Amino acid sequence: MVLIVNTTSDTSVTDTIRSEIESRSTAAVLTSDIEIIEAASLNISHCIGCNYCWLKTPGVCTIKDDYEIILKKVIHADQLWVISDTALGFLDHKGKNIFDRILPIATMYLRFKGDQMRHVPRYDQRTDIGIIYRGDVEKDYLKRWTERAALNFESRSLGVFESNEVKEAVSCMCL
Amino acid sequence: MHVLIINGSPRVKKYSNTDKILEKFTKGMCENGTTFEQYEVSDKAQWDDMREAFNRNKNILIALPLYVECIPGLLMEFLETLTPKNDGSQIAFILQSGFAEGIQLRCGEAYLEILAEKLGCGYKGTLVKGDNFSIRFTDDKMKNKVTDPYTEMGREFAANENFNSEACRKFTGPEIFPAHMRFILGLVFNTFAKKAFKMIAANIGCEQPLDYRPYR
Repeated sequence: MVLIVNTTSDTSVTDTIRSEIESRSTAAVLTSDIEIIEAASLNISHCIGCNYCWLKTPGVCTIKDDYEIILKKVIHADQLWVISDTALGFLDHKGKNIFDRILPIATMYLRFKGDQMRHVPRYDQRTDIGIIYRGDVEKDYLKRWTERAALNFESRSLGVFESNEVKEAVSCMCL
Repeated sequence: MHVLIINGSPRVKKYSNTDKILEKFTKGMCENGTTFEQYEVSDKAQWDDMREAFNRNKNILIALPLYVECIPGLLMEFLETLTPKNDGSQIAFILQSGFAEGIQLRCGEAYLEILAEKLGCGYKGTLVKGDNFSIRFTDDKMKNKVTDPYTEMGREFAANENFNSEACRKFTGPEIFPAHMRFILGLVFNTFAKKAFKMIAANIGCEQPLDYRPYR
């Protein structure tokens, strides 16, 4: 399953994704395999760093808001795409919050993966990460960050695409 | 020198590891007359005052925990409300994390240099240090063992007005642990650390195994 979370208020990107997938009749991924969440209308807080999802209520975020909708789907997703506006050369806070709040999919426990410490994942699913952004960004940095963030969740980066490169992003969804 | 300090941790001040680090850091920084004012990004009631202080001060220090390889979303939300300065102001950063190796913080550090430019400020370097997760959960003796070294870094900052000295660079510790250390630490993670985490969890009322899967 491909999970797409649109944190912007512009639905034209998700409309394009839908129509692109529908138009690719030979695509391995069908529209039914795509889940799109329009998060701009949802109530999603920032992470408050309480660590309760690791130490008090394992796997459950203490903040009771709409992020749980995303969390319940991420654990079944092969890919997570976040569509985000940008700020200060990076994802804006709404886009970053989607990643900050993902901590419950990891446990408090630690292990070495290669030569670096990692938190032991809570679930078996590994979810690759892709970014579609709107606005000015330091693209080389965003690529580096996405690769690093994916490594942290024992998955891989699917790449970083500007909103006018959605067709290329859809090609990655259909592999 | 007068320094504006912004604690960029989303965690409330009482439980903020970054705040405990700043307590020790400012102790050293102020020994020879440097003064500071500090604000907490976790308290949105302070945001108007923080913006005013950002505009008024030329020496700015933002201390923050690493959140998913970069700055916390809440700190970004605040920074998005600022107007770039372009008046000769300078920003330095203290970046801290739970993971112990220096390499874990380098991606976040790289963004902070970009951020200084985006805010229209000169970049005065980042003090990078991991292995701070335990601050909140340990007794004063252990807490001080982790945070006391920041006092010397406060002296360095007051003397140099940046984090570019060799002492600050060395403060990070190892970029990665050598293979034999990883082997030993791997054993510790599976034994003592697991036990310690379970104990902390029990003390704060956890009723499930720490690897519990609430969603199917």
